[in-house]
Amino acid sequence: MIKLLIIEDELLIQQSLKKLFELKGFKVDTSASGKVAIDLILNNDYDRIISDLMLNDISGFDVIEESKKRFTSEEISKKFVIMTAYNSPQVLLRANAYQCKLIHKPWDDLEAAMKTMTE
Amino acid sequence: MENRYHSPNQETPKGLTVFIDQQIRADFDQLDCANLNLTNPIASKLILLKKDGRLSVKFPNGEFCDFPYYFKNVEKILDGIRSHSQGFSHSDAFEGFIRTTQTIEKKLYSGVSLRPGENVKDLWDEIIKKVNLISSESQSLRSLMERLLEVPFLQKFESSIIVLHLKGQTKAELLGILWRSEKIQALVQIKEFNSFFNSIKKSKIKSFSNDTFPKMDLPFNGTFLAKEVTSRRYSMVAMVSRHDFLSYSVDEIKLFETCIDLLQPHFERLIDQEFSDQRISELRVCLKNFPLPLKVRDSVSGTSFLNDLCSSELQDKDSFFNKNIQNSFTLDLYDSDELRHYAFDLFHFQRISLLGELLNTLRHELSNPLFGLKLGSQLFTMMDVQEDSKELMKEIGKNIGRCQTIIENFSNLYQVQNEPKPISIKKIIDESIILSKSESRETKKIVEYFDDTESLELNVSLIFVVQILFNLIVNASQAMRNSAYSRDLKVIITSKNDQVCIDVIDSGPDIPSDTQSQLFKPFFTTKSQGTGLGLVLSRNLAIKMGGNLEYLVNNKAKGAHFRLTLPRR
Repeated sequence: MIKLLIIEDELLIQQSLKKLFELKGFKVDTSASGKVAIDLILNNDYDRIISDLMLNDISGFDVIEESKKRFTSEEISKKFVIMTAYNSPQVLLRANAYQCKLIHKPWDDLEAAMKTMTE
Repeated sequence: MENRYHSPNQETPKGLTVFIDQQIRADFDQLDCANLNLTNPIASKLILLKKDGRLSVKFPNGEFCDFPYYFKNVEKILDGIRSHSQGFSHSDAFEGFIRTTQTIEKKLYSGVSLRPGENVKDLWDEIIKKVNLISSESQSLRSLMERLLEVPFLQKFESSIIVLHLKGQTKAELLGILWRSEKIQALVQIKEFNSFFNSIKKSKIKSFSNDTFPKMDLPFNGTFLAKEVTSRRYSMVAMVSRHDFLSYSVDEIKLFETCIDLLQPHFERLIDQEFSDQRISELRVCLKNFPLPLKVRDSVSGTSFLNDLCSSELQDKDSFFNKNIQNSFTLDLYDSDELRHYAFDLFHFQRISLLGELLNTLRHELSNPLFGLKLGSQLFTMMDVQEDSKELMKEIGKNIGRCQTIIENFSNLYQVQNEPKPISIKKIIDESIILSKSESRETKKIVEYFDDTESLELNVSLIFVVQILFNLIVNASQAMRNSAYSRDLKVIITSKNDQVCIDVIDSGPDIPSDTQSQLFKPFFTTKSQGTGLGLVLSRNLAIKMGGNLEYLVNNKAKGAHFRLTLPRR
């Protein structure tokens, strides 16, 4: 079973996404805090890590940075998906540096977004 | 035993008698030599001589101070002599003084080594002359930096560059000339500039290698000389380089530092001038876009002109800018009969911009919860629930979508657009109707496009056009609200030659002919809560875009008929 971790501090979004992915047959863990998420990442094996960019404590990019302890940059580029409402050039540039996927919130097509996140 | 030194017969100490070589006499004309006996060489106790470009001080018992001649050397020696003149009768004390002076002087000038026969004073004269020449002839910082390389001792240098930071700016500017031909210009982050500037300032040797400052990305190969300059309004680093890896001699460093010191007032002047150029160009932009008629008055000469909104009274602006704005100027709202209405106009713009900020905050704050709600509703439609619940969830989803669209549209509307972008007419009309929805709920709206205008794109400001149409639609809806007639609003888009006409026609009560003539007058209103500015503002905006807004008199049909014309290109 594919294991996902969703890091999102907006609980309604977090829980909805969790349920939506569970309906599709994924196993989903969630975290509202980036720091807690880092612990989860270091101690569990997730196939995909979907993180909001602006978390309450740290940013999604910080989570990626911490995950470097465990993963190679190639693994990071495959595992991580960053969700963001801010499509600034800086954000694009950084996501590009990690080679990870970037999804703009809010999205119009749920199916397509979920597909991109789990592909 | 009687102390011989205190005997009244003892010879009183005489003032020092100095002989100054004819070759250097001219330099001392400006000096006060009153305490010195300038006399013939034989009677003097001290002879100042210029020999082969070096200064010699000759005493009866020997020679001292053999160092490059520059009149300041002598001036300093003479200063010292003057302040110590009582003590100088004793030759040991004087020798001691001269030795001290010599050390100081050597520190100051001995670094400047000359070829045999070369004269430091001549070199200095030449440098000062050249510096004065290039600084008076340079009209910009860049040209000053280019011509800096003409200064005698800098002739072996290939590049000269400054990094200038005007206080309050977020970036510093690098400009200058490379290899005596290639012009260079770049921006430097303020953080990099600050650390660079401080390193230069702290350094005593002022000679650096390029790899000392990897973040600055300096265009030199090898070593370079740098000197910092500060003033109230800017900080700056001037640099020269030969593009080689040899270190610089003490002479070169000293000369360069002095040269930059000499140039400081000229840097100041040119930076000031560039400041004012920048100020003028900002003023031009400001005046061009300012929505109110303004009067610009030069404080010195008293001449003035008005900005574009009063183009009929426009004077020769360019000459005004060039001659007068250098000094200082004042801006006034143009004082005319219409001033009052423009003042209201200003408040209106303030309100609008405040509204824009507010909407942006609102959008950011609402976007996440709305998105969560939407995901939640989507989740329920996918879950195994009753069919009618699913329908309900879909309806909730749709409504959330509507909220998202509305907030998006509103904040797009108030976004600052620097340049008009091509926008389709359809989008403009749709947006205006969405925005006026709450005011025009009971009104039936008919939009008709003719002459292929539906797909046409206009190069206008979306905000302006939507604001005008919003006004017209709301006006029409309010006029029809209490009317017994059918409430129909027609928006008809046609194209004529190089213009697009957007007609807004309602089926409300007629506008009496005496009212018609007052429609576009400020503060004229028939509504109890109206400001009487809506139509005036709308017409102003239309004119600003190169179009117009007018009321069309139609005797046959009922209701009001407004026409907004906009340029097609």
